[in-house]
Amino acid sequence: MSEQVESLIRKDYAAGFHSAIESDTLPPGLNEDVIRHISAQKEEPQWMLDWRLKAFEAWQQMSEPTWAHVHYPQIDFQSISYYSSPKSMKNRPKSLDEVDPELLETYKKLGIPLHEQEALAGVAVDAVFDSVSVVTTFRKKLSEAGVIFCPISEAIREYPELVQKYLGSVVPQKDNYYAALNSAVFSDGSFVYIPKGVRCPMELSTYFRINELNTGQFERTLIVADEGSHVSYLEGCTAPMRDENQLHAAVVELVALDNAQIKYSTVQNWYPGDKEGKGGIYNFVTKRGIAHTNARISWTQVETGSAVTWKYPSCILKGDNSVGEFYSVALTNNFQQADTGTKMIHLGKNTSSTIIAKGISAGRSNSSYRGLVRINPAAEGARNFTQCDSLLIGDRCGAHTFPYIENRNASAVIEHEATTSKVSDDQMFLCQQRGLDAEKAVSMIVNGFCREVFKELPMEFAVEAGKLLEVSLEGSVG
Amino acid sequence: MLQIKELVAEIDGKQILNGLNLTIGDGEVHAIMGPNGAGKSTLGNVLTGRDGYEVKSGEVLFNGKNLFDLEIEERAREGMFLAFQYPVEIPGVSNMEFLKASLDARRKHQGLEELSSFDFMKLARETSAKVSLDAAFLKRGVNEGFSGGEKKRNEILQMMLLEPQLCILDETDSGLDIDALQVVANGVNAMRDGKRSFIVVTHYQRLLDYIVPDHVHVLAGGKIVKSGDKELAKELEAKGYGWLEGEVA
Amino acid sequence: MTQPVQPSDFQKRALTLAQQRSAPAFLQTVRQQGLDEFGQIQWPGRKTEMWKYTTLRPVEAFANAGWPADDVAADGKQLASLPELDATRLVFVDGLFDGAASDELPDGVRLFSQADEAARVVLDQYLVKIAKDIDPSRRNLFAALNDAWLTDGVLVYVPKNATLEKPLYVVHLSTAQAAERVANQRLLVVLEQGASADLIEHYLSADDASASFVNTLTEIHVGDNARLSHTRLNLEHEASSHVGAVHINLQRSAVANGFTLAEGGELKRLDYQINHCGEGAELNLNGLYLGRHQQHVDYHTTIEHRVPNCTSQEVFRGIVGDKAKAVFNGRIHIHQDAQKTLAELNNRNLLTSNTAEVDTKPELEIYADDVRCAHGATISQLDETALYYLQSRGIELPQARMMLSYGFINEVLETLPHEGIRTALQKRLRQRFVEEI
Repeated sequence: MSEQVESLIRKDYAAGFHSAIESDTLPPGLNEDVIRHISAQKEEPQWMLDWRLKAFEAWQQMSEPTWAHVHYPQIDFQSISYYSSPKSMKNRPKSLDEVDPELLETYKKLGIPLHEQEALAGVAVDAVFDSVSVVTTFRKKLSEAGVIFCPISEAIREYPELVQKYLGSVVPQKDNYYAALNSAVFSDGSFVYIPKGVRCPMELSTYFRINELNTGQFERTLIVADEGSHVSYLEGCTAPMRDENQLHAAVVELVALDNAQIKYSTVQNWYPGDKEGKGGIYNFVTKRGIAHTNARISWTQVETGSAVTWKYPSCILKGDNSVGEFYSVALTNNFQQADTGTKMIHLGKNTSSTIIAKGISAGRSNSSYRGLVRINPAAEGARNFTQCDSLLIGDRCGAHTFPYIENRNASAVIEHEATTSKVSDDQMFLCQQRGLDAEKAVSMIVNGFCREVFKELPMEFAVEAGKLLEVSLEGSVG
Repeated sequence: MLQIKELVAEIDGKQILNGLNLTIGDGEVHAIMGPNGAGKSTLGNVLTGRDGYEVKSGEVLFNGKNLFDLEIEERAREGMFLAFQYPVEIPGVSNMEFLKASLDARRKHQGLEELSSFDFMKLARETSAKVSLDAAFLKRGVNEGFSGGEKKRNEILQMMLLEPQLCILDETDSGLDIDALQVVANGVNAMRDGKRSFIVVTHYQRLLDYIVPDHVHVLAGGKIVKSGDKELAKELEAKGYGWLEGEVA
Repeated sequence: MTQPVQPSDFQKRALTLAQQRSAPAFLQTVRQQGLDEFGQIQWPGRKTEMWKYTTLRPVEAFANAGWPADDVAADGKQLASLPELDATRLVFVDGLFDGAASDELPDGVRLFSQADEAARVVLDQYLVKIAKDIDPSRRNLFAALNDAWLTDGVLVYVPKNATLEKPLYVVHLSTAQAAERVANQRLLVVLEQGASADLIEHYLSADDASASFVNTLTEIHVGDNARLSHTRLNLEHEASSHVGAVHINLQRSAVANGFTLAEGGELKRLDYQINHCGEGAELNLNGLYLGRHQQHVDYHTTIEHRVPNCTSQEVFRGIVGDKAKAVFNGRIHIHQDAQKTLAELNNRNLLTSNTAEVDTKPELEIYADDVRCAHGATISQLDETALYYLQSRGIELPQARMMLSYGFINEVLETLPHEGIRTALQKRLRQRFVEEI
């Protein structure tokens, strides 16, 4: 049966189309002038430009990390264009009516209607197209609750105190190679501020779309949840099918002040490359949150796209009783490679963290869980539970687990478990004997394997994620 | 319903079925008994198409169709059902989802509409009550953490839901206490309608006190060595299988 | 990324030391290769994955050390306190063979320096060739140093279907003079098809000894259907440094049962590198480590499953307190062809002080789908309920702690096949926990 679980025609990547939209794109290359240009395009204040230049200086001194279990040809950072904006966005549209209909059509095709009356009820969307935010929906409704949800470029101009206070406070400019690059050249992304005691009335979401050829996308997201506030945020991402690899190096910072809760969900569906491993996005992302006293940060991710993923959404559990969670499904097929996991840094007393990571490898792909659980000496009563399960589909793929566990407090309790299995012949036989075809059987078994993670996703997206898994598995079952 | 002619099958190069002949008519209940290693489980696995079993020669007609032309799931959709001796666990996949997907596949094949979720839930709850399985088991993963008896009742639940034409019970009685055995037997008896046929594979006569067979066959050395009515089962219970050894050769 | 390597002071000294001693001509090639390799290695730092949690500073402290004098001899008092064992005893003092303190060598056991033609053939075939093809990132650089320093060693050769009659008990004693000296210890064990042997390696310090540096390498070939029992005890003084490795190749249906225990020292590092080369091979490895005061103890295990149908079971437990630090890294690598592998690793730790540290990293790297692999790691304290239970029976808390700590260790200790050693260790460890009350 395992041979059966191997060959089946692959359906096209549904989001792989390219929109014919005229863009202003910077010529490839990276130097100070490029950074000044980006900053000028965004009409940024001087402090922001200085911050970028400082990051650029640091980046030039750094070298690319090589420790991850991924292999790809050396990236030529001078061959990438660092800024691309639809021409029609030159004068920022004041309302949806002024937005280029072709842009709206693109999002509609991706299943993200931007007209509020058509949109998914209860979800506000910031739509980022290459280097700019096209539109942010439901802003009025949100501002009535005091919630700020806008492109970060706008926040830099409109809410400089907030941005200056928190930008780089969780992921410093020099944090790592890609974070430094992002700090220098980031173009757009979302900014969220939830005031004290406010429960955000809607789900917030950002949809990232790479469209132009040879451009990198460097989004920056900053979410600040003030004391006692709650927010649930979701990001999605897609890109056209191309033979060339494209770089996506994002930074996401979360600040959960005392008693605040942030739930951050990702459905990552960047173009994964074709079945020969040609093309696809390099997804090198730094995501980190800091949780103050009694705060909770929860990361949920469903990673099915990208040629190479390098991503470790992390929690710094600074405040006493703070909670960090990481729920992850990483599915790789064909020649995809994913090295993903989390870091839970326990600093405060009675902090607790939960890690549930499910890796599924098919085709000739490799999926690695890499995680760090660190308990500092002061983290009295810290708790961690980690469960990593890998599922292999076929004998040409790899599934790996690299957990680092560092404990310096005698009252901590840390448990880590990892298992590896395959879709068993017996499970397949039972399903098929009950009349299900092989593909349905595998998809059902794999979905069951991921259930613990899917149940953490907001309802609307849990269904999406299940479907995405089915599409991504196509070609792995026969 | 089912004609098995000179069936020869092997697993890992070892011949298990050795020219087996068996004909099962509509509405009949056939018990297959025999010593361990006689090929009893192999028969059910070969008929349903389990991987690893290789048919070397012979023919099986199921409602006139050549069984070996059909994939595993096609045989199932045609109405062949195997109640497993050791039902496998599928973690995370809810029993409900699994049952609905199975029933949908069967109904679609029969040209019927899929049941609405509401109707399905109602049916599933009613059926689980019939096999004394708490409805809470419908929400749990398929067989996940079920006791031996619960797994077997879950098998009968599936059988009742899917309403197959031919039910093969592979040592369903093994490891069951008397109460669970009765639940299983009641389930089977309730489904005897003069058209549906059963192959009851068992090592012991005990089950046949509850499910009274029309025919009893002794399988040894990969073929049927003796056939009779329900009295044969009692004879076997009294004498064991040893006295049949001459017939195997 | 080939930058010219800046050798550390220790490396430079080590190379000089290698030149200072002569060795039989047939070992020259091995020595030269070791010299070349060790000289070229980038000296590990914190960014070196294999040495992420373990500093080599204690080894660097030997950058001015010399070889021990040739006339060291074992102190009878020390030997008298060794566990009772019906075994062939071989005694090394600061790395040098002490014939007077050793039993007569049985058939098949001889020193490299006394190798006859047949023994040389075996050395030529197996020396430096065991577990050589493991992942380069897991390569143990001190094995190269052991080659470079090689002047002598113990060869155990058990022919087809033969059994080494008595267990071989190799004792390595570090004396007071070891403080300024380095020692090199080498064992090669070859079990031909169907052969079996029982090997015990025991490292200890003399009562008046403290600092020492020993670099050890044990290479074991377990042939088709052969059986190995291997026990490795690292019980030297807490001021000592020991960097050692055990390399094992398992051929078809070979069975290896290993037990290891280390008490922390200035630096105690032991690498197990095990290669499943033949189908149906079986490995069981149990280990214990204990750290107190300012001790450091580090185990790295690497298991390569290259072929189908093999099993490996690893259980390691540690107790770490005071300002001590324990490191455990257990890697299981399942190659693409290694279908039907069963591999499990379990690592449990008790951390008893906020100034102590445990760093554990169980790793799985898997390229075959039809396998059953799992690992688990925990770091915690003694079970509150069990403590309460003992207290409710009138046992005082410190006593209850001692009993449970000892019990945690003893579960693994019970797997040790040699009663004499087991009893001696149980006494020693019980005493250790009593002292800590």
